[in-house]
Amino acid sequence: MALTSDQMVLLYRNMVRADQFNKMMYRRMMQGKLIGFYHPAEGAIAPGVGASTFLNQDDNLSPHHRGHGITHMLCKGIDIKYYLAEHTGKETGCCKGRSAFHFSFPEHKVYMMSGFIGYNFAPVVGWGFAAKRRAQGQVVMNCSGDGSYGQGRAHEAMLMSQNWQLPVIFFCENNGMSIFSTAQEMHPQENIASLADGFGMPSIIVDGQDVFAVAEASLQAIERARTGGGPTFIEAKTLRFNEHDIGTPDLSGWEERSAEEHEAMRKREPIRIATERVLGDSLLTQNEIDQIIEDALAEIEAVEQFADESPIARPPVEELMAGVFAD
Amino acid sequence: MREITFIDAIREAYEEEMRRDNSVFIVGQDVRGAIFPHTKGLVEEFGPERIVDTPIAESGMYGVAFGAAQEGMRPVCDFMFGGFSYVTFSECSVTTGQYHFLHGSQHPLPLVITAGVGTGQRLANDHAMSIHGTFAHHPGIKVAMPSTPYDAKGMFKSAIRDNNPVVIPWHMGIMMLKGEVPELGDDYVVPLGVADIKREGSDVTVLANSLQLQHALTVAEKLAGELSVEVIDPRSFVPFDMDTLLTSLEKTNRLVVVDEDWESGGFAATVSARVMEQGFDLLDAPVTRVTLPNMPVPGGYMEEYVAPNPERIEAAIRAVCA
Repeated sequence: MALTSDQMVLLYRNMVRADQFNKMMYRRMMQGKLIGFYHPAEGAIAPGVGASTFLNQDDNLSPHHRGHGITHMLCKGIDIKYYLAEHTGKETGCCKGRSAFHFSFPEHKVYMMSGFIGYNFAPVVGWGFAAKRRAQGQVVMNCSGDGSYGQGRAHEAMLMSQNWQLPVIFFCENNGMSIFSTAQEMHPQENIASLADGFGMPSIIVDGQDVFAVAEASLQAIERARTGGGPTFIEAKTLRFNEHDIGTPDLSGWEERSAEEHEAMRKREPIRIATERVLGDSLLTQNEIDQIIEDALAEIEAVEQFADESPIARPPVEELMAGVFAD
Repeated sequence: MREITFIDAIREAYEEEMRRDNSVFIVGQDVRGAIFPHTKGLVEEFGPERIVDTPIAESGMYGVAFGAAQEGMRPVCDFMFGGFSYVTFSECSVTTGQYHFLHGSQHPLPLVITAGVGTGQRLANDHAMSIHGTFAHHPGIKVAMPSTPYDAKGMFKSAIRDNNPVVIPWHMGIMMLKGEVPELGDDYVVPLGVADIKREGSDVTVLANSLQLQHALTVAEKLAGELSVEVIDPRSFVPFDMDTLLTSLEKTNRLVVVDEDWESGGFAATVSARVMEQGFDLLDAPVTRVTLPNMPVPGGYMEEYVAPNPERIEAAIRAVCA
């Protein structure tokens, strides 16, 4: 599915935003200005941007935990300032400051981030079930990493989605690493997408460092799901430049990842790949790119200002107790 | 009033709620063919789109309910036997209980979890355990269990209409119990969180539910003339109607809690502690519990060793009144 120039420019803009948001989160974690932890997305931002940019508001999205879903959510039109406020414990946060790093934007059909890896898969079946019954073309974009496909829940969800031909896209962001463990070691086959074969589910393997390739594959799967063609498995082969979460050692197995490995990885920097493409295809000039970066930095400044100026959430415990159950 | 069985009362609740609200559906394993008769025949009226069988994949099965509830539907997830909910217990308890609260109390999760529970079938631990106490431990989930056909129909209707996750198991030992239920089309409900005094008395209060409520009523009848036993059915464990219990204790000053669950960390322990905290001055004797000993429920004929029964309840009543 060939992309239009407008689509490519939108993807490029979202790539720059995702990259800058990730850098901001990294910086704030290092400055002690985030609650909890942060799982940096550097090197792995193209899959989320490619998967999420062309979703409709009423499509379901389960973002990957890497980058804490920001690269995915901002592409779906979600205002990240409410998430940063949440991640800084503020009362303006998307979950009223109660959730630390969790997010929830029900009006955008981004319902939850589970603290348990692989717990996206079971609800995804329910979203697909509801979407199919509603029959209005709603699709479910289910993003998670190679590690999450160790969960039995992943296999159950693929089984049931394929049985019922649900409009679900199993979008695997395979960065080859699950904390310290390699996908090579934790999965019996080189491609996680091979799991789809057992269920008779169509699959696509795509270069996850190339946002345009990811978007083309995603659009193909979205189109299939929207038109009643059932689920698709997409494996985006990507990379993780940093350690798993800020402060943990950068190991492969129990040994430091080598300088050679880092050097090879960083040749596949997704922003650079995208920039070469938009300049090479004369879609954007360097001046226009500079402006896109400037816009992203201004957006982030406003997001940080909102979070920093919001009051810390410390409601009376009675208010919390009253929120345990819905009316 | 007409009489129907407990299990038929649950089925009538499903039928009426599914006719009333198109977003209500049942998901489980072999619910179409009805391994237990509360779903018998429903597929003929509502079709396989609303009486949904899944593979033996409890997480995925519960995921249908959980995700569909997030999407605004009102699922009933039937685990068949209560112990089977433990296969996906992290979702049922942690993820379910925290969902509304942790995400800022902005998005309700209206779903029902049900299953057959309890001793009496000689099926051993994984097919005989009670689940209400374990679920009651996790905040954000309502937990209730009916004891009569009337309550079963009214409480299942309440559970389906509730905007929260409700765990409402039913006891296999009273499946065929008959009782009076209003005529079809009489749209009554029994609210969650309200206990019911099933028999009035003045010497001692017995708090008991489901099969054990039937045992308690049997004992109360046997002791009539000797001891006046008030029998209260909690009906709901979360929220629990503490007021009805304390009001009863103002009269009787003695409490026996019968709970078909293990002694350690069970609902009976919670009630006992709350009574000491909120009603210590009302007590003339220590609260006494009749529970399962802390061993996995044995099957076969040894089930009789551990399950609460009329004899143990009578002994507890006599001890607390001595």
